[in-house]
Parts: sequence; C-alpha cells; structure tokens
Amino acid sequence: MRVVIAEDSLLLREGLVALLRENEVEVVAQAEDGEGLLRIVSGHKPDLAIVDVRLPPTFTDEGIRAAIEARRRQPGLGVLILSQYVEPTYTSELLAGGEGGVGYLLKERVGDIPAFLDSIHRVAAGGTALDREVVADLVQARDGGDGGPLGLLTPREQEVLSLMAEGRSNAAIAEAIVVTPGAVEKHISNIFSKLNLAATDDDHRRVLAVLTFLRAGE
Amino acid sequence: MRAWLQARLYRAGLDLAYLAIGGATAVLAFGVWVGAVTVTLSLLVFVVGLPLFLLSAIVFRWTTELDRRNAALALGAPLRGRYRDHRGEGFFERLGRTAGDSQTWKDLAWLVLHSLVGVVFAAVAVGLVAQTIAVALLPAWYWAIDGGVDVGIWHIDALGKALAATALAIPLAALAMALLRGMAIAESRLAAALLGSGPGSEPAVAEAATGEAPRRAPSRVDPRTLLLGQAALSGLVAIVVCVAWLATGAGYFWPGPVLIGLTILLGLDAGLQAALRGPERMRPLAIQGAISAVVTATVVAIWALTGAASFWPVWVILGLLVALALHLLVATMWRHVYPDARERRLEQRVDVLTRTRRGALDVQAAELTRIERDLHDGAQARLVSLSMQLGRAEERLADQPEAAELVRAARSDASAAIGELRDLARGIAPPILADRGLVAAIEGLGRRSPIPVVVEAELERRPPPVLETAAYFVVAEALTNVAKHAPQAGARVRIELDAEALRVEVGDDGPGGADPEGGGLRGLRQRVEALDGTLAVASAAGEGTTIRAVLPCEW
Repeated sequence: MRVVIAEDSLLLREGLVALLRENEVEVVAQAEDGEGLLRIVSGHKPDLAIVDVRLPPTFTDEGIRAAIEARRRQPGLGVLILSQYVEPTYTSELLAGGEGGVGYLLKERVGDIPAFLDSIHRVAAGGTALDREVVADLVQARDGGDGGPLGLLTPREQEVLSLMAEGRSNAAIAEAIVVTPGAVEKHISNIFSKLNLAATDDDHRRVLAVLTFLRAGE
Repeated sequence: MRAWLQARLYRAGLDLAYLAIGGATAVLAFGVWVGAVTVTLSLLVFVVGLPLFLLSAIVFRWTTELDRRNAALALGAPLRGRYRDHRGEGFFERLGRTAGDSQTWKDLAWLVLHSLVGVVFAAVAVGLVAQTIAVALLPAWYWAIDGGVDVGIWHIDALGKALAATALAIPLAALAMALLRGMAIAESRLAAALLGSGPGSEPAVAEAATGEAPRRAPSRVDPRTLLLGQAALSGLVAIVVCVAWLATGAGYFWPGPVLIGLTILLGLDAGLQAALRGPERMRPLAIQGAISAVVTATVVAIWALTGAASFWPVWVILGLLVALALHLLVATMWRHVYPDARERRLEQRVDVLTRTRRGALDVQAAELTRIERDLHDGAQARLVSLSMQLGRAEERLADQPEAAELVRAARSDASAAIGELRDLARGIAPPILADRGLVAAIEGLGRRSPIPVVVEAELERRPPPVLETAAYFVVAEALTNVAKHAPQAGARVRIELDAEALRVEVGDDGPGGADPEGGGLRGLRQRVEALDGTLAVASAAGEGTTIRAVLPCEW
C-alpha cells in the first residue's frame, strides 16, 4: 500500500512516517499544506492520503477542502482525515463525497497502532473508518436517549450498530465484543430488520446504510 | 367630543394662567436684573462689588424659582434647578464657585430674556382671551357703546348683527387657544432649557427589557412636527386675515401686526429648536444667537413698517452683537480658567473607558483564540506524539506483557489528557467557531444536543469574533438549560445580523418558569452586557422559555 501524508507539524509528521514504515506501509511523499497535497496526489497516485484537518495558510479547514478536491481529481482515492477535534459538520461533508474509502479519526487514535493500521487498510480498500467519538455523536444526535427507533434495539445490538458505523468488519466486531462471528451476523440481521434497512453483504454499502440512518436525525 | 373639548379648554386655561403669571414674573425679573447688573457692575471696581455679585446670584435664584414653579402649569411638573453646593466654603471659594456655576449665568440669561418676552406674551394672551370673550358676549353690551362697535370689518349696531357676530367667537377662540399653546410651549421650553437641570428636564422613560438595545429616551412629541404644525397654523391664520383685509376694502394694513406676531413666534420656536439640536457645549450661545436673530428680524420689520426712516435698528443690532461677543468671550475665558470643569472630565472619562474596554475585550478574544491555537499546535501535538511513541514501544514489548501493560496504561493516560485539553479548548474558544463561523458552530451545537434543535440563521457577513463568541456561548448555555430542565422539549435558535446589532433568540416549548437570575444566565448577562448588549429572558409558566440577546455592532 502506498500512502501520502499532509501534516504541517514536523513532530507529528515524522512520528507518523516512522510508525508506518515500521509496519510495512510505504510513505511515498509528504506535504505541508493543501496545495502540496494536491501536487503529490497527482504526482504519485497513492492508494491512501492521510490528511490533517488544519493546514496552512489559514489553519482552519484547508485539510478537508484539499482532501475533498483530491478525491474529486482521483476517484477511488482513500482519504483518512486526522483531527484534534470532532465536528459533525466535517463528517457530513466527507461522507457526501463519491467513491473511495473515507476515514475520520482523532489524532490520539494513532497511538493504538493495531487499530490505526486496521483503519488504514480498511480505508485504502474502499471501506469506512469513523472514530468512535464521531459515531457516538451521531447516535446521540439521532435519538437523544429514549424513544425513537434506536430504542427498539437491545443494548448489545446498539453496540453492534455503533461498531458497524465505525466501519468494522464482522470479524472485527466479533473480536471487539467477544462473541462468535455467527452471533454478530444474527445481531446484524436483527438490527437491519428492526430499523427497516435493506440488508447487504457489501461492507461499504452497509456502513453507508447505517450512517444514512443515523444522519437522518440531523 | 365633549371630553376633547373639555380637555382643550382646560389646557387653554392652564396656558393662560401660565402666561399671565409669567408676565408678572417678567416685570419682577426686569427690575431684578437691571438693578443687579447696574449696581454690581458699577461697584465691581470697588471691593464692595464682589459680595454684591454673590447677593445678586442669590436673588437671581429666588426669582427664577418662581418661574420654575410656574412652569408646572405648562409642563406638568415644576422644574428643578441644579446649583453648585456652597456649604462650608470661604468667601472667595464661594465667589469663584458661583461665578463658575453655569446655572448662575443661565439664571441671568433667563431673567433678561423673560423680562422682554414674558410681558409681550402675557399681553397677547390676556388680550386675545379678552377679545374672544368680548365678541362672545357682544349682544350684552354692544348697545352701551355710542355709534356701535367695530368688530373687524363689521359694524355692529343692531341686535341681529350682534347675534350673528357672536359666531365669530368660535374661530377667535380657536385662534386664541392655538396661540396660547404656542406661546406657552415656547416660554416653557426656554425655561426648561435655561432653568432646568439638563437637556429636556422630562424624566427618562425606562425601556422594558424586551431585548431592545438601550437607546436614549425618545421625546414624547417630535418637536419638528410641532414646528410644522405651528407653521401651518400660522400660514392659515395669515391667509384668513389677509383675505379678510382684502374683503373689507384694503385700507390700512391692519393684518400687519398679526403677521408680525405670528412670524416672531414661528421664528423664535424654529430658532430655539435649531439651537437646542446643536452640541451641548454650544447650546447657550446658540440659544442667544437664535433669539438675537429673531429680535433683529422683528425690529427691522417694525422699522420697515413704520416708514423706513433713519435706520434706528442698527443700535439694537449692535447691542445684540456686543452681547453675543461678550458671551463668546466669557465662555472661552471660562473654559480656560476652569479647564477641569466637571462635565468635561466626565465626558473624557467615558471616552477613555469605552475605548479601553473595547480594547480589552478585543485583546481577550484574540488571546483566547491564540491560547486555543497554541494548545492545538503545542501541548496537544506533543501528547499525540507521545501517544504514538508509546504505541510503538508497546509493539516492541509484545514478549513482555507486564511492561507492555504499563506502556498501554501510559498511552491511555495520554489519550485522556488529550481529551481533556480538547474539552478545555472547546470551552474557551471552540475551534469550529473560528474556522467556520457562527452559523456552522451553532449547527454543530444543535447536532450535539440531546434535544431536537432547529437553527434558522442567515448571515451575509461574519460579525466580529468577540460578538460571535458571545453569541455562541449564549446559545450553548441556553441549549444546555433546555436539555437539563425540559428534556422532552424541542428548541429553536434564530440568528439575525443587521446594520445595528447581532440578535440571537433561543426558544423552547417546554414548561417555562425559568429563573432569570440563575447562575448560568447571570454569567451570560455579564458577558453580553460587557459588550453593551442586552439579555432578556421571557419564561411564563406553561409557555416555554425564550432567551433574547442583542449585541450591538459598533465594533
């Protein structure tokens, strides 16, 4: 897998590069701002771009804009956004885009290396990797506790729903909540029928369905 | 109809009384100021003049007090004068203080003006009323006059004509009431300006807290409208009178004095209005200028009408100019001699405070943003880097589970620290507010809130950061309150930006009954008021709660 990084902080950029290289992920190029990102994407055609939300010159949301533009120019490019904070506005904009994997993680997740690598591979493969904080936000916004369709789900099913929204595969979910993959499948089909969602085998579509459902609360 | 008529008659009666008493005080005033000025001035060269000056000031005060009380007839409440406090001062200090007290000189100005104008007004008032009554009662006495009575253009020498002529009493009465009102307003306005304790001594009207930005109390009737009304009425009277003159053979131009009177009144009122609209500092001078102009015009008109012989008004004009020049001289000197006049000091202080407060709040807003940026770039970045390195160390310790566990715990602590810093940053300067603006930040608040929130906001431009922050925290606190006290309710946030202010409104359909002085709301009010804004809470039980904040955009 070939990866490019757009991050203006030297400390974090070097840390990321070292971390990735130690885990057999090739970093083909680095950039420090939005223009740089677009340049290296068109130059190297990577599988995945890891981008910080805040980049020069204004340090507001250059990262998101550059990532969306990069994906427009190279459809199928996986984009993983790293941010210090979660804002639901950015999540919506990212998910509204076209093809290609999408990820939005808080920066501290990179410390949990196995999970980080899992996210990277998922996004590069066209899947989804949303930070559990993001999903928690969406779930809370959807129903705010009691009442509403989410109330129909058992606590276990709500857990599985959140993990699905993060973009995890069935196997990963099973491992996360310590049950058999079969149990996970059963939970999932229950969820889909209770929430009236069309069942699908495709991981990405499944996440989209769940996210669309969750975002319907906005 | 009857009530209206009664009110009008009552008002006219009050005006008549006011003007008549004013005439009496005018005569008194004449004696007082002529006596005081001549005696004091002539003896000023000798030391005796100085205590006489003090005595004069005291006499002025007593005399003008009569006029202040009298003004109650025209204004509804007596005027209050404000004099400098003299207690416990020595002679020379007292002398200086009295000479420096603007009210002393205003008293003198009033006495002079009033002594000239007050008598004229009183004469006109009483004369008009007497005339009206005479015409109304014509049938009762016309027969006592040899050769009949002349009423305007008609000659009354028979009962039939007398009865018909009484109809004239009605337009006369209307004219009288209007003129009485006009004169009473003019005189009482002058009194208020010179004898009152501030511009327009009417009590300020307190605005109900409905979220309106605080404004100066508006006058009850627009003076310009009054002036227009007076002009219209004068024009009407002039036309009627001229038509009457033409209809009766166009002999001696008897409407002349009437027209002159009307013009004087109109000029006086217009001039005074213009003068009162000027800056506070120039007001006494402007008033004197306006009155001088009117007097000059009057005098010239009289000269023109009485044959236009040698130009005697030149002396009057010279006298007025000298008075104006003296006034200007005294005012300028006074400003030099008393550079630390209290009003000036206060004005300067207010200017300084406004400027520095603005500066302080701007600095605070900029600092908070800088703190958030520094946190982001500095501490948080370092903690993330720390987290990464601990993760990499954990990988290498796969064969030493205890050590790996320690490192994992350390990484977890670092994550917690990052989370806490993030919440801190959002609490002082939410990043999305600076990055995307107020509307995006509020939409984010709505999404994050456990209750349903509808956001209606259309801003063509971004307000200054300091206002955005205040508005953001108003909405944040309001939504938190709703979620806490009325979790079943829904909320709506509306934001508008116009040329004057940023207006924020958060309403919910909960049970209402919120405490407007509650802790969170009190802090919000302080934040909003520091920006010269207002915060209003409307929370009737059963009708939900609405919070309105208005933040003026003068930044």
